[in-house]
Amino acid sequence: MDNKMLLGVYDNPDSTYAVTKQLVKGGYDVHDVYTPFAVHGLDRVMGVKRTRLSIAAFVFAMCGVASALTLITYASAIDWPMNIGGKPSLIGPDYIPITFELGILFTAFGMVGCFFIVNRMFWGRNTDVIDIRVTDDRFVIAVNIHENKTDVKALEGIFVTGGALEVRERVKEI
Amino acid sequence: MSYESPIRETLVTGGKTYADVTNDILRPLEQKATKSWWFGFTLSALVLALWIGATTYTVMVGLGAWGINKTVGWAFDITNFVFWVGIGHAGTLISAVLLLFRQKWRMSINRSAEAMTIFAVICAASFILSHMGRPWMAYWPVPLPNAFGSLWVNFNSPLVWDVFAISTYFSVSLVFWYIGLIPDIASIRDRATTKVRKFVYNFFSMGWNGSTRTWHRYEMISLILAGISTPLVLSVHSIVSMDFATSLVPGWHTTIFPPYFVAGAIFSGFGMVLTLLVVGRVVLKQENYITMGHLDAMCRIVMLTGSMVGLAYITEFFVAAYSGVEYEQYAFINRAFGPYWWSYWTMMTCNLIAPQVFWIKWARSTPWFIFLMSIIVNIGMWFERFVIIVTSLHRDFIPSSWSMYTPTIVEVSILIGSFGLFFTLYFLFCRYLPTINMAEIKSIIPTHHADHGHGQAAHGEHAKKGDAVHG
Repeated sequence: MDNKMLLGVYDNPDSTYAVTKQLVKGGYDVHDVYTPFAVHGLDRVMGVKRTRLSIAAFVFAMCGVASALTLITYASAIDWPMNIGGKPSLIGPDYIPITFELGILFTAFGMVGCFFIVNRMFWGRNTDVIDIRVTDDRFVIAVNIHENKTDVKALEGIFVTGGALEVRERVKEI
Repeated sequence: MSYESPIRETLVTGGKTYADVTNDILRPLEQKATKSWWFGFTLSALVLALWIGATTYTVMVGLGAWGINKTVGWAFDITNFVFWVGIGHAGTLISAVLLLFRQKWRMSINRSAEAMTIFAVICAASFILSHMGRPWMAYWPVPLPNAFGSLWVNFNSPLVWDVFAISTYFSVSLVFWYIGLIPDIASIRDRATTKVRKFVYNFFSMGWNGSTRTWHRYEMISLILAGISTPLVLSVHSIVSMDFATSLVPGWHTTIFPPYFVAGAIFSGFGMVLTLLVVGRVVLKQENYITMGHLDAMCRIVMLTGSMVGLAYITEFFVAAYSGVEYEQYAFINRAFGPYWWSYWTMMTCNLIAPQVFWIKWARSTPWFIFLMSIIVNIGMWFERFVIIVTSLHRDFIPSSWSMYTPTIVEVSILIGSFGLFFTLYFLFCRYLPTINMAEIKSIIPTHHADHGHGQAAHGEHAKKGDAVHG
């Protein structure tokens, strides 16, 4: 079973970045890199595809706008048109504020909801943290080991020459 | 050796390493509560009790407990509502607008400013509820299919827009704040020593593991949330101003209101941020994170927005004079020289004149003075709303309905008590959540600083060896 990973632990983002780049170039199967903060460019180096959450945000925004317009139009022009000083009951500009606010509301909640779903995040989830120091001051590069394919010695070498503080093996989360 | 010229002052001083950041910012959470925390919390809770008492009294007795009358129907409560909503705006401005402008100094202050936003909006909402007189009917402005004769809310009314604006603002701010907190909650979880802490922080960390894939998505949603919060914050106070501006009351019926209210909101919000942080940075020992440079930047914003508000006051006067509408002209003359002249000149002094001292470097770099100024700004902005509401209303179109407004002790208690509500929540926040966004701060520490820390450790070892040799 290919369920092992080799971890390289670093203490600064620059060497983490450099080593990750080298590993990806060298054809290693980089599982993930765990960092205490967003290291810019690391996602690109790892080949993470641009997230489609922005598209989701747009779709939710349009849903919000559509719901607001439907609600307002139905309530004030179809279901119970009110005669206020003989003015028409369907007036465009007055509907802008609520339409805008609902657009924002749907975008925020929809997008954040999708974010939680794609990351499989939910309240109370117990996660198997790769190393508890990654939320403090350590950067961990996790590389999948494929039996008979991955040259573990060479990999260890890259980790160490890149400035790893420690290199160890770990069983993958099941 | 190359020398990097410091183009800007460093944002985090003291050569902090990543671990230092975690230790420094989590210290107030992880150690036993200090005496100063207990003192502040107890005091706030006592004032909160005043709020609970006065609000309960109002609900039980009715709005007759207040000094409002047939002419001045909006007074202390709406003044306080607008005041607190305004306070909230700095939080969103700091975290959203400054994020879009790539102002990195925001990172030390955005967490506490966003917390302030949420607590201030809670205070504001409480005034709307008590103003209703019958808070159990607070769901009426919500467009629900109903049994009251198919009557829907009036979608042309700014008061209904306000319901949508404030509730959207509150919930989106809460989401934005919580998203920012998740990585830091995970940090606390991974350092937790007691079972309860581990359970609670684990629950709210939602299984955060620091993966780069997650961070990639996280950055994207943070950017979009900032992008949508920016027009949101502008719209919220614009809509609050339309509660006044769309009416026909002289002194309210002004097209300048939306930008003027937004500038005022940012002004008062920064005033409150300064009040909290000038003290907080010393008490929580965060001088290296909230540096004099941060205070200086905030003072500049206070000066800028104060001047914008002052310009709006003067423009209003000019427009009233130029319009040739005698009701409008009288409303403004009465505002400055009528029976409430003292509130008008308090407002002018605190908001337009006082912040001009921030042109002087000394004023921007002396913490006690900044604190004093921030209080003056808060007072001035409270009076601005009082002036707009009470002076415009108290002299109606018909002189026979002219009247004066004096707040009762109940109203004053609710106002003072609302600070208790705000500060109780703020003290709880300081005790249980990190007041500075650690994940963001770590990303702006120069990496050679992190190395520098190790360098120092190494030096330390050398020194010891050296001593041994000498000894």
